[in-house]
Amino acid sequence: MTQKELYTQRLVKEANETMMSYQTRRHFIKESAMGLGSLALGALLGSSCGSKTTTAAASVFDPANPLASRSPQFAGKAKSVIYLHMAGAPSQLELFDYKPELAKLHGQDCPQSLLEGKRFAFIRGVPKMLGPQAAFKQHGHSGAWISENLPHLTTVADEVCFLKAVTTDQFNHAPAQLMMHTGSARLGRPSIGSWVTYGLGSDNQNLPGFVVLTSGGRFPDAGKSVWGSGFLPSVYQGVQCRSEGDPVLFVKDPKGMNRDLRKASIDAINEMNRIKYQEYKDPEINSRISQYEMAYRMQISVPEVMDISNEPDYIHEMYGTQPGKACFANNVLLARKLVEKGVRFVQLFDWGWDSHGTDANLAIDVGFINKCRSVDRACTALLLDLKQRGLLDETLVVWGGEFGRTPMMENREGKQNPFKGRDHHVEAFTIWMAGGGIKKGFSYGETDEIGYSAVSGKVEPFDIQATILNQLGFDHEQFTYQFQGRFFRLTDVHGRVINEVIG
Amino acid sequence: MKKLFSSRIVWIVAVLAVVVTVFTFSTRKQTVSFSADVKPILNKKCISCHGGVKKQGGFSLLFREEALGKTESGQPAIIPGDPDKSEMIKRLTVHDPEERMPYKEAPLSDEEIDILRRWVKQGAQWGEHWAYVPVKPVTVPKASTFFGLISNNNDWAKNEIDHFIAEKQEELELTHAEEADKKTLFRRVSLDLIGMPAKDEWLQQYLADKTGKGYEALVDSLLSSPHYGERWTSMWLDLARYADTKGYEADQARNIWKYRDWLIKAFNSDKPYNEFLIEQLAGDLLPDPTDAQYIATAFHRNSMTNDEGGTDNEEFRTAAVMDRVNTTWEVLMGTTFSCVQCHSHPYDPFTHDEYYKFLAYFNNSRDEDTQADYPLLRQFKGTDSSKLPELKNWLNHHASKEKADGLYSFLRTWQPAINSLQCDHYINGAQVSSWFAGLRNNGSCRLPDVHLDQKTRLLYRYTSGFDGGVWTIRLDSLTGAVLKKTVLKKTNGWEIAQIDLPVNKGVHDLYFTYSNPQLNGKENTGVLFDWFHFDEAFPGKGEPGYDSAYSAYWQLLRAPAETTPVMVESNSEQHRATHIFERGNWLVKGEEVEPGTPHILNPIPANAPNNRMGLAMWLTDKKNPLTARTMVNRLWEQLFGNGIAETLEDMGTQGISPTHRELLDWLAWTFMNEDGWSIKKTIKRMVLSATYRQASYADKDILEKDPFNRYLTRGPRVRLSAEQVRDQALVISGIMSPKMYGPSVMPYQPKGIWLSPWNGADWKQSDGEDQYRRGVYIYWKRTAPYPSMMTFDATGREVCSSRRIRTNTPLQALVTLNDEAYLEAARHFAVRMQKEGGAKVSDRIRLGYELATYQTISNEGLAVLEKLYETSLDTYKKDTAAACDMLENITADQRTAPEIAAMTVVASSILNMDELITKN
Repeated sequence: MTQKELYTQRLVKEANETMMSYQTRRHFIKESAMGLGSLALGALLGSSCGSKTTTAAASVFDPANPLASRSPQFAGKAKSVIYLHMAGAPSQLELFDYKPELAKLHGQDCPQSLLEGKRFAFIRGVPKMLGPQAAFKQHGHSGAWISENLPHLTTVADEVCFLKAVTTDQFNHAPAQLMMHTGSARLGRPSIGSWVTYGLGSDNQNLPGFVVLTSGGRFPDAGKSVWGSGFLPSVYQGVQCRSEGDPVLFVKDPKGMNRDLRKASIDAINEMNRIKYQEYKDPEINSRISQYEMAYRMQISVPEVMDISNEPDYIHEMYGTQPGKACFANNVLLARKLVEKGVRFVQLFDWGWDSHGTDANLAIDVGFINKCRSVDRACTALLLDLKQRGLLDETLVVWGGEFGRTPMMENREGKQNPFKGRDHHVEAFTIWMAGGGIKKGFSYGETDEIGYSAVSGKVEPFDIQATILNQLGFDHEQFTYQFQGRFFRLTDVHGRVINEVIG
Repeated sequence: MKKLFSSRIVWIVAVLAVVVTVFTFSTRKQTVSFSADVKPILNKKCISCHGGVKKQGGFSLLFREEALGKTESGQPAIIPGDPDKSEMIKRLTVHDPEERMPYKEAPLSDEEIDILRRWVKQGAQWGEHWAYVPVKPVTVPKASTFFGLISNNNDWAKNEIDHFIAEKQEELELTHAEEADKKTLFRRVSLDLIGMPAKDEWLQQYLADKTGKGYEALVDSLLSSPHYGERWTSMWLDLARYADTKGYEADQARNIWKYRDWLIKAFNSDKPYNEFLIEQLAGDLLPDPTDAQYIATAFHRNSMTNDEGGTDNEEFRTAAVMDRVNTTWEVLMGTTFSCVQCHSHPYDPFTHDEYYKFLAYFNNSRDEDTQADYPLLRQFKGTDSSKLPELKNWLNHHASKEKADGLYSFLRTWQPAINSLQCDHYINGAQVSSWFAGLRNNGSCRLPDVHLDQKTRLLYRYTSGFDGGVWTIRLDSLTGAVLKKTVLKKTNGWEIAQIDLPVNKGVHDLYFTYSNPQLNGKENTGVLFDWFHFDEAFPGKGEPGYDSAYSAYWQLLRAPAETTPVMVESNSEQHRATHIFERGNWLVKGEEVEPGTPHILNPIPANAPNNRMGLAMWLTDKKNPLTARTMVNRLWEQLFGNGIAETLEDMGTQGISPTHRELLDWLAWTFMNEDGWSIKKTIKRMVLSATYRQASYADKDILEKDPFNRYLTRGPRVRLSAEQVRDQALVISGIMSPKMYGPSVMPYQPKGIWLSPWNGADWKQSDGEDQYRRGVYIYWKRTAPYPSMMTFDATGREVCSSRRIRTNTPLQALVTLNDEAYLEAARHFAVRMQKEGGAKVSDRIRLGYELATYQTISNEGLAVLEKLYETSLDTYKKDTAAACDMLENITADQRTAPEIAAMTVVASSILNMDELITKN
């Protein structure tokens, strides 16, 4: 580059910066600490912990319209994500990771070599090995091993990419879920959905950009923090859509207030605000006017999109929905409707996968099978439905738990559990992805003969996060936010895009 | 007064232009300022490779000694006085792209290179960043006289603050605004000082005032209102990361509201800020600390505790200690310190080991991530509490001061105790749920490192479901000498018991075995231990009053008590050594460090002990450059919307520079010296200024010149905080409960917000007036905070947060439109309008508008709201059922229901106006 080109480049950059700082509204905090005095997302593209920062400006963040649609750092394959999290951690050994050798060891004492220096949540002393409690077959052209517990999913095996050697370093639910979704086992970091919404805004101004749906009767163990915005502005936290009460908190008009009256009252509020604007000339007033208009539209569009009763019968049949009930299948169908409407990140949590064997519901050969049945059809339908709508290529679907289960039978505090169960296990579990530019009918990573630990293609939650961001058009090392004096990123100082699974 | 562009000013501008030109010409010879000129270049262009994190080529620009030292080449890169021989300067201009710096980045501008050259030429001196230099007295700018031209700021200024503001405005050719009308000012200063609209009586007094002193009188009234303390406590709770739960998965309840009440009282009594901080940081280390001083230390017990099974308590204890370090720096000293836990600060002069030296101050408090949140201050009730002074008095007369204090503090805190979490080497036993030591029949475990000198009593807290258990304590091994054997009775829940020990010496590992032949099934746990306390004999045996003193002691030890987590320092027996954690990893321990503060800041005061108290003294020493600046900056931000230095959390070189540095220093100096650390006096100075009293109107011109109001060209206009939005609605509708203090309350919250696994806790809606308490009293659950507050940008309080971001979203509109809490306010507000507003609808609306905004409604506005009323009335007359629905629990007969319902729609709309959500 010649001196002159450099000079021109610098001039352009300065002009851009000036422009940005001009457009930027009030002191949206820390970003300006970078010296740009602006909120350009590009300005946030530093990397963590004092290493070099780049300033490839993307677009401007505006606190008055924080959900305005924004472009990613580069063109991503996926436009939106549906993340299906089975809270409690399903057993990979009864679903995808077929281990005939483990069957042979069934009932034998676990070798000391597998126990030395390890900590488990509940296993104490020497547990027995527990063979696979399901029959496996290979399916599709890819020959993927899938157990009889997921008969529907077997039909779409060729759409799916399995990551079979996922590991984590957290063996309790809450920290492991936080790790999976926020990149840290402690509370206080933004969830991946918040990062994505911060980066992309929302395509649909009448719906929240990041929606959370829960089923199974409980929230995930880590509570709302798994969809919290951490240190990002709270506007980026996941908005929980609920099947009981208001679909979004406070979205419903009060009893006795009909739509016409609501319209009239919002019109009046905005009229009063316009009068004030004439007096004060504060641009914030104008943005409040548009937020009230948007609230009114949300009141219509949220219940509309949350109402699945208008879907045709064959769709209900396909997903196995139970209209009127809070169930996973309904939520999966909703997820499809939401991404269709432009929602960027739909996060599902289904609670009840913690198959310790302490009671029948938590038994690997009883309750676990019921859980599988309750999700199998809907997950399969989701892939087929997205595909028939031409949305699968631009929607990344992720399915998995927060860790895996032990090849040993759990012996809580040293004694035999009443039912067959497996303890929490951090060294190997399976997560699958589909759509959004991920390889189809592919499997990456292997575990040892009994499924105890990863032997090849090992990936961590950070790698999965990096890959999801990559598919959306973000370089996880460059996508940062400054807080408490340092640049934070979702993947902290870790993470690698799993290029092997990208189509 | 807006017409500042008089010919006089044009003159000034012209003259200034000349001066600036002359100045520019002369800069070449000027001394380069390290802070102003050099450091920004280094930070921006050099330090990411040559700084705290990376030291490429062995060259770092963080400290002078490093920068002048030898690099990997064996030569120093900077030779003071000789830029031509300095490799650093040469490298800026060479052509070889592999050699030229910044590496693979655009070269520095000619101007930047020139600055660096001259800086090296002038000796490459390091200057200190302004925020790390102690505050010095500042001369208040005189009303400007420029070539005899006196600006009219003289008339405008009300106090010193205004001279600083005016000086900057003149420099930038900006103007200030006229004073806001009385009603606007009344609302503004009420919301700012007490967090809600003040009573009408004060408004009337202020409006009627003819003396010109009415505003100051109003400010004094507000400052002495009990609501003042509530409002400023709301702010402090974010800084203290206060919550009513412990966080993490289980997120169980924590009883710590007395700390919130302590804050309210401290603000209301205007406790000087230095004392305010000393008590919060080290109240437990004051001589004979009062209960209130203990409770103040709950400030740092608001860190999270992990109750989940299988977790490593030491990991989470360490996390809590680090959180205390980071919080202390960020909220009390406006410095981001957390990056130093992994490496030296990338931009500011703090080294990696200094983080751990500082951490050492906090590393010896007794808390250990126990489930009970020990140590707890135990406050007795009724007759128990009246026994306390008598016993204390007896102890003081029958034991040494040290011993009496020890017994007393054990009574109050159950400290020092060895938590059963310290047990290890379990056989047929386990640490149960990472909370307690549990032993089965013939089970055993070890309690390491017990100091037995003079210890003839062992007190322990335990529970057992079975009679007949035998507990044997051996010295140093499972087969060692038996120290004591005792029978453990079946208990009714947790009990404290005591056994006598034979005299022993030295430090020993104790081995516990438990046997109980009655235990059927080898898998049953026979006993759980909570803690152990080894003590000397109770004093005064054989002396008068011994029996009753001993029995009072024993009774109080086990008496039911209200508890609050507090700080208690470890004694020498339980002292923890502090190590540097390599790259911040708590498992990789580096060299041991002693408590100490960063070298760049003020020295530790001569009389300061080497513990948390010493730290508190250092932090509140007038020479500490950060403490006062941080606080006045925060107060300014609360009143004006932005800090003088916008980044409240970071006044370091990466923070945004203050817009008015002299003013910041003047305020800090005055705060410490003239006002004796009085927060009320400082606030009063700020709100009495003409700067504060300005009207907040803007026009196109001013929006272009000062879009973010950084130069205070007009009054502040910002959205209210979550608490203010709530409190205001309660006050306007007349339903706010003035009740102060006590356990946190649970007002209306939609169902299904709390659904934590493994936790039976439930949101139980409060009864009666507790539903209408101020926001500061609302129960704060970390994993599921009160939703409408969160929508208005409150924070989760997992960690401290220096300031809230003000967003503007449709979800906020939905809260104030549809949340039952706001609807209820609207209904009561409507009834109030009906009752107090006379017979005419227009008068009622007029009154409602005035009650809410203090302003008279314009004809245009009145027409809008009247129309809304008519539309609503039509609807409700046709559908009285809907009217009744709208009114819910307000009793109204069918006949009047449509009218009240229609007025409720109007009332709700008023509560939703921008004017209400915003401070004008």
